[in-house]
Amino acid sequence: MIAAHELRLFAGSRLLFGELDFAIRGGEFVAILGPNGVGKTTLLRTLAGAHHPTGGSVTVDGQSLTELPHADRARLIAYVASDDLFVNYLSVRSIVATGRYAHHRWWQWHEDATDGAAIDRALADVRMEDFASRSFDTLSSGERQRVWLALALTQEAPLLLLDEPTSHLDVHVAQDVLALLRAQTLQRGKTIVCVLHDVNEAAQFADRILLLADRRILAFAEPEVILAPPFLEAAYGVAMDRLRTPAGDLRVLPSV
Amino acid sequence: MRLTALAGLALAVTLAALLVGGTMLPPEAILRALVRPRGDVATIVWQLRLPRLCIGLVVGASLAIAGALLQGMLRNPLVDPYLTGVSAGAAVAIVIAMSAGIAIGAVPALGFGAGIATALLVAALARRGTGLDATRLILAGVSLSSLFAAVIALVLTRLQSTEAAPAIVGWLAGSLAGRGWSDLGFSVPYAAAGTAIALFSVPALNALRLGDVRAQAAGVNVDRAQWLILAAASLLTACAVTLSGTIGFVGLIVPHVARRVVGSDARLLILASALLGGALTVAADAVARTVIAPAEIPIGVLLAFIGVPAFLYLYLHGRTMAV
Repeated sequence: MIAAHELRLFAGSRLLFGELDFAIRGGEFVAILGPNGVGKTTLLRTLAGAHHPTGGSVTVDGQSLTELPHADRARLIAYVASDDLFVNYLSVRSIVATGRYAHHRWWQWHEDATDGAAIDRALADVRMEDFASRSFDTLSSGERQRVWLALALTQEAPLLLLDEPTSHLDVHVAQDVLALLRAQTLQRGKTIVCVLHDVNEAAQFADRILLLADRRILAFAEPEVILAPPFLEAAYGVAMDRLRTPAGDLRVLPSV
Repeated sequence: MRLTALAGLALAVTLAALLVGGTMLPPEAILRALVRPRGDVATIVWQLRLPRLCIGLVVGASLAIAGALLQGMLRNPLVDPYLTGVSAGAAVAIVIAMSAGIAIGAVPALGFGAGIATALLVAALARRGTGLDATRLILAGVSLSSLFAAVIALVLTRLQSTEAAPAIVGWLAGSLAGRGWSDLGFSVPYAAAGTAIALFSVPALNALRLGDVRAQAAGVNVDRAQWLILAAASLLTACAVTLSGTIGFVGLIVPHVARRVVGSDARLLILASALLGGALTVAADAVARTVIAPAEIPIGVLLAFIGVPAFLYLYLHGRTMAV
């Protein structure tokens, strides 16, 4: 679905990655983990076409990302940034409707029936149907995150890229957002790539985890592999305790 | 619906403004002269009042659209069209030209050219990578405008005794007096081009309400949209400045008022700003040319006296306005 080839990334003059290669399959939920400053956000922005790599390339279904016009790219990739932009006084529906931009011809100002259906479906998918006419500034943090999610879904792109969609959210809201994303892979066949902070959230929801450290991919594998020694210790430099949930899944805690 | 009401208001204001003037004429004579352009009344209507009305509409609409474009693009409610540097550049060129005694006929073209050249300079200073940097744009616009204001002050102090001074001061204060169809003919193509680019940019402008990053993610070519919007605002402002001198506050205030009436959706906001800007300018000009007739108050001064307190009242009493 989306693949990086010999990707070379800088943050200013600081080398983040010398050469990254990986491929993400269609329908997968991939979590990107790694210590702060390793370049998770820059990598995600590069996959979204918002950052141009110094070397190497990103391909989506075999097409080079840099050669795609903006609108074509937006029909393939929906990117949810982590900026806390406050768009007061805009209604939820008018925010979500922006996702239809890439589906319009240059002369089309107004939504047609297809747009309306896409907006309604996106709002329903994040359970915000009843909030359509609400003003953004009256929403809670969790509701706002769901609005950004609905905006991305309205693009009807097969690939969703999300930067820390659960940061600043309480545990139940974070679980809810991740479950909504998981449902998008299962019910709508979307491919999801998601930068996360919480190792256990990643283990709980992701099919595979891309673990970054020391300017390279430390491991790209199923949660059971990533959470087993020695990867997390190597990435974060802290000792970890491991335990099993009643369902038999592996979870980790930093050792005291 | 609200747009229709605004259109009605603009039409009513225009008609009313047609009926008043330095020479009081019976309304039926004016209306008759509109249909049958013969006689003295017809000369006043067709050669003085109508061109002046049309210029007022074009100037007001141009400034208001330019203001709405820039405020929306920069998501900054304090931005006005003169940020583009157009008016400062035009003013410097025109003041120097007038003081050097260059023929009055060359003034609009000269002002227009200098205004656009300054806008290009501001844009070059604000460039970052392939796009525009909002902070740099504001800094470049404000600092170049201050520099040019200083140049104008210098020219004026060196010039106090000559007879060109009143004309220069009159131009700087903004006025619709003494312009005719030919001035309008010069400016209208540029205003039309600016408006066309503005209308083309409407969907991008709406997406930009969510910020550059989210607009980009939704498929907007943000760099291109910013250049187009700046070009449209510069063309419209240059057109207005060439026609009327520096008329302040229309470009700042009208988009705010329009936003209150129709909301921040650019599809409505651009049209509402154009209608309100045209109506306000025509109304202010009608007042400016009648209250102390046969003399005139500079329309820029009048708009500042009425507009600023009204704006402050609106801003302080009522909910904060979204950009």
